[in-house]
Amino acid sequence: MSDVTLDRAARDVLRLAQPRPRWFVPGLLAGIGSSVMAVALLACSAWLITRAAEMPSLAYLGLAVVGVRAFAIGRSVCRYLERLASHDAAFRQLAELRLGIFRRIVPVAPAGLATTGRGDLLTRLVRDVDDLQDLPLRVVQPLLVAGVTALLSVIGIWLVVPAAGLTLLVCLLLAGVLGTILSGSLAARADRELAPLRGALADEVLEIVENLDALTAFDALSPRLVQLARTDALLRQASLRRSVGVGVQSAIMSLFAGAATLGALYFGIPELISGGGVLSPVLLGPTLVVAVLVPLAVFEVFGMIPLAASAWRQVRVGARRVADVVPATAPVEIPIDVVKPQSLSATDRAAAPPSVVLELTDLGARWPGQAEPGVSGVTLRLAPGDRVHLAGPSGAGKTTLAHSLVRFLDYTGSYRLNGVEARLLAQTEVRRVVGLCEQRPWLFDDSIRQNLLFARDTATDAELDAVLARVGLADWTAQRGGLDARVGERGALVSGGQAQRIALARALLADFPVLIVDEPTANVDSVGADALVRDILTAAADAHRAVLLISHTPVPDELVTARVTLPARF
Amino acid sequence: MRPLDRRLLHYASAARRFLLIGALLGFAQTVVVIAFAWLLTRAITLAVAGERLSEIVPTLAALAGAIVLRSVLIWLLEVSANRGAALVKSQLRARVMATLAARGPDWVASRQSARLSTVATTGLDALDNYFARYLPQLLLTMIATPILITVMLWQDLASGLTVIIVIPLIPIFMILIGRATQTVQQEQWQALQRLSTSFLDVVGGLGTLKIYGRERRQFVLLRSITEQYRARTMKVLRVSFLSGFVLELAASLSVAIIAVSIGLRLIDGSLLLGVGLFVLLLAPEAFLPVRQVGAQFHSAADGLAAAEELFTILDDDMVLNDTAPTVPKADATAAPADQLGSGTGGLLLAGVTVRRGDTVVIDQLHAHFAFGKLSVLRGVSGVGKSTLVAALLGFVPMSGEVTLGGVAVVSGATRPWLAWAGQRPGLFRGTVAENVALGAAAADPRVITQSLDWAGAADVSPATVLGVNGDGLSGGQAQRVTAARAIYRALVTDCPVVILDEPSSALDVEAEARLLAGLRRLADQGRVVIVVSHRPAVVAAADHVIELLELTHV
Repeated sequence: MSDVTLDRAARDVLRLAQPRPRWFVPGLLAGIGSSVMAVALLACSAWLITRAAEMPSLAYLGLAVVGVRAFAIGRSVCRYLERLASHDAAFRQLAELRLGIFRRIVPVAPAGLATTGRGDLLTRLVRDVDDLQDLPLRVVQPLLVAGVTALLSVIGIWLVVPAAGLTLLVCLLLAGVLGTILSGSLAARADRELAPLRGALADEVLEIVENLDALTAFDALSPRLVQLARTDALLRQASLRRSVGVGVQSAIMSLFAGAATLGALYFGIPELISGGGVLSPVLLGPTLVVAVLVPLAVFEVFGMIPLAASAWRQVRVGARRVADVVPATAPVEIPIDVVKPQSLSATDRAAAPPSVVLELTDLGARWPGQAEPGVSGVTLRLAPGDRVHLAGPSGAGKTTLAHSLVRFLDYTGSYRLNGVEARLLAQTEVRRVVGLCEQRPWLFDDSIRQNLLFARDTATDAELDAVLARVGLADWTAQRGGLDARVGERGALVSGGQAQRIALARALLADFPVLIVDEPTANVDSVGADALVRDILTAAADAHRAVLLISHTPVPDELVTARVTLPARF
Repeated sequence: MRPLDRRLLHYASAARRFLLIGALLGFAQTVVVIAFAWLLTRAITLAVAGERLSEIVPTLAALAGAIVLRSVLIWLLEVSANRGAALVKSQLRARVMATLAARGPDWVASRQSARLSTVATTGLDALDNYFARYLPQLLLTMIATPILITVMLWQDLASGLTVIIVIPLIPIFMILIGRATQTVQQEQWQALQRLSTSFLDVVGGLGTLKIYGRERRQFVLLRSITEQYRARTMKVLRVSFLSGFVLELAASLSVAIIAVSIGLRLIDGSLLLGVGLFVLLLAPEAFLPVRQVGAQFHSAADGLAAAEELFTILDDDMVLNDTAPTVPKADATAAPADQLGSGTGGLLLAGVTVRRGDTVVIDQLHAHFAFGKLSVLRGVSGVGKSTLVAALLGFVPMSGEVTLGGVAVVSGATRPWLAWAGQRPGLFRGTVAENVALGAAAADPRVITQSLDWAGAADVSPATVLGVNGDGLSGGQAQRVTAARAIYRALVTDCPVVILDEPSSALDVEAEARLLAGLRRLADQGRVVIVVSHRPAVVAAADHVIELLELTHV
């Protein structure tokens, strides 16, 4: 079974997704109205016809005629209103939901999120959060609507033919319980049997498609395709086995709908002569027909319940995943500000001090969830005007070090800024003087101007043009139509090297006294890499600024003032 | 949107079979639905006429039988739809993969590979709902609705005509509303796209925002963006929910009209109760499949879109690459005259021209790579270095002559003379050893260790297990394992030519030096070793450098 027990964290997430009653109730009422009127339409039509067959005067039927027409129109109108109101409520809640999650992410991001470094996981988190809208739309609303409609119908029929009412109740309960349990166990079996096969198949297809050149060049394609066909056959057989169970749920609904109708006939017919329920001392033909036909309409509404149950399973899994990725309490590796942080410049808290000396003594840092520190024993001094190249093989902890310097990760040992231990400073204060150009700079889906402005929102267009020229992007920007050119979703319209240059321009605008540049050439083709490193060091050079360039590619001597190499760690 | 794409039937025989079985089941289901309505009507009319229960029991028994049969048929239709989906997906997947393999790496590279694999995997899953929910209802619309209408016409002309008049109105209104929705959506589309991804943008860029002290400002922004998203989405939904509204209104209003008309004719005695009830029970059933088709419109559209994407791959009748077997011409009568006059053997390119579409990428290239030498091929980005390599591999068609030791090399399905390492690692799930020995009949652990050593990857254990696409190695490690794979092939199958495309772009100076030493050993064994690179250390280690110049003519 996909047993997802909901702990408090997941329940908190779910609570964020359910709209407040003021937004939710209008849609709910419209939904109940629509479903009740659907049942009433059939009941009223059946009554009208059976009563008409007794050939009364037309006056007796007037109300029923009006009722039939009103229910037909009212049902559709209410349904339309229900969909609008419930979607509106869910979307209103989306703002609360996103903000609630975002509030929890802010203190731990980026190093404390379980998605660190995995773009696909991040995308899934965001999608999971947005999918939590299904809780009000596809779980709570249908459950309440179907439940209330079924209950009202049962009571209504019980009033005229008590035994038929009870039969309907029993049939509804059995269909609901059996349908839900069956669809649940089927879904669980599908997860267990099909999901791993689907995953394996997707992986194999991806490997073949992405590496078709290697497979072809090494004559290894045919065995791969044979292996893929084998996996495909396994998946196909599992799917075929599972298909036997799939239709059972609708079959059960149909079966019990029929059973309720049959029950109403069986118990109702003998009472036609002998007696009736609370409302009618003598059961009449038209009333019996209503009791017999109403179950058909009720079950049509009631079919929503198993669907809601399966939506609930998905929502639950999604909430669980969100809760896992966004820790309720920050891991110990993520720094928390001390209660009364000190300040670097005693006089003016808003302004960063013009020059900063950064000193590391035996510094170590660790990623959340890792047993071993990612970096340790780093001793380093950066003074204004310094340009230091930090080298080291991959895995030596270069990025760990960068993240600890901007206080995304906590550190051991000593890290002083102008003699003050960084731990005693507010994180925002540290980040005002120590800036970082990330390995994968994030560009926001907006114009070049907006991507620069958030580093210093008072900058004029002339200043922006100047800084773009400094990082070697003047021509490129002009070609794309100036500062208003868009960079695309996740910088899709920009190459890796250009993204690095924009990130550098941003950092230069913010004018950090200490600037760390983390592997700027990681996503740049090797032709562009050397030029990029050269341009970065030239542009960032300033008598007041200390630059720490983290890079595995060689850096010419004349560009740096010192070199540090992190030892390999195995 | 066509409701059913003929190509689906053409490419997947399972789809044809499902349609046949589904049609039979749909017919049976319709018969049972009519029987159910008739038996129910009969039981009610008997009861109202004052018959005792014992008289009615046989009818009730038959009714119970109809109920059970109806459930079984519903179940069977769903089972066959799901089976159909599984079989069709499997058939289509096999066809796509065979097509991709036949079209070759260059064709695949010209498309987004992630997109292609999605088409063959999760994209196909969109067909699940198409088959399970949409097609059965489409079948029922074609089969059940006409039968039910015929029965209604026969029993009560007026009611039958009402249904006949209303049913065609449904698709007409749906199309009109669909058009209106499309206009609204196209207007809103870009804005909606951006607003829907804005949350991802903020969460993903949170690290950057924190570096610049901007994280707190996002709260206000996020709220206003989500509010805009809501307002715009609701504007679209107000129109698109109209189609559902029309469907429901048409169906329930027709039932209402039929009920009232029957009622009025019952009063003056021109109709019997039995007929009236029977027709009233059939009326909603006649509308049900049409309503379901409308409700499942979106899953159908998704499924057909997925299929469409697949068919464009299958239909794309591009000329396939020459697949002639690559036997060096058995007895090349004469080694061609050494046009460049340099060296006596080696890999000789004479007048090689490579086109991509209408663009000439390499024009009349003459080059000579000598046996036993380490050659470097360099040139500015985009000049066609990788295209030349792809042409030598036979992935891109070329003209001109390529000879090896005086024997012409024919590019084709296999290339036993060539060991190659591409720019992208292209590693697979499995151990490092399995990756290094890719395509080899048997893996020799000693040679694997040696290859890793020569590639400067002695620190990578052959037993290391990699994830999908070689996940688990750093960029530099993956690059060296890729080089080791080419070295292994060269050593084991004794390939005379080794080509490595940018093998050291992710390597530090020491690792690059170790790799170059290994390549030197390969060359010393008498092979042609070609490295595409511009790195100073590689150029310095080379015996000679071939510079590819940009084509200046048009």
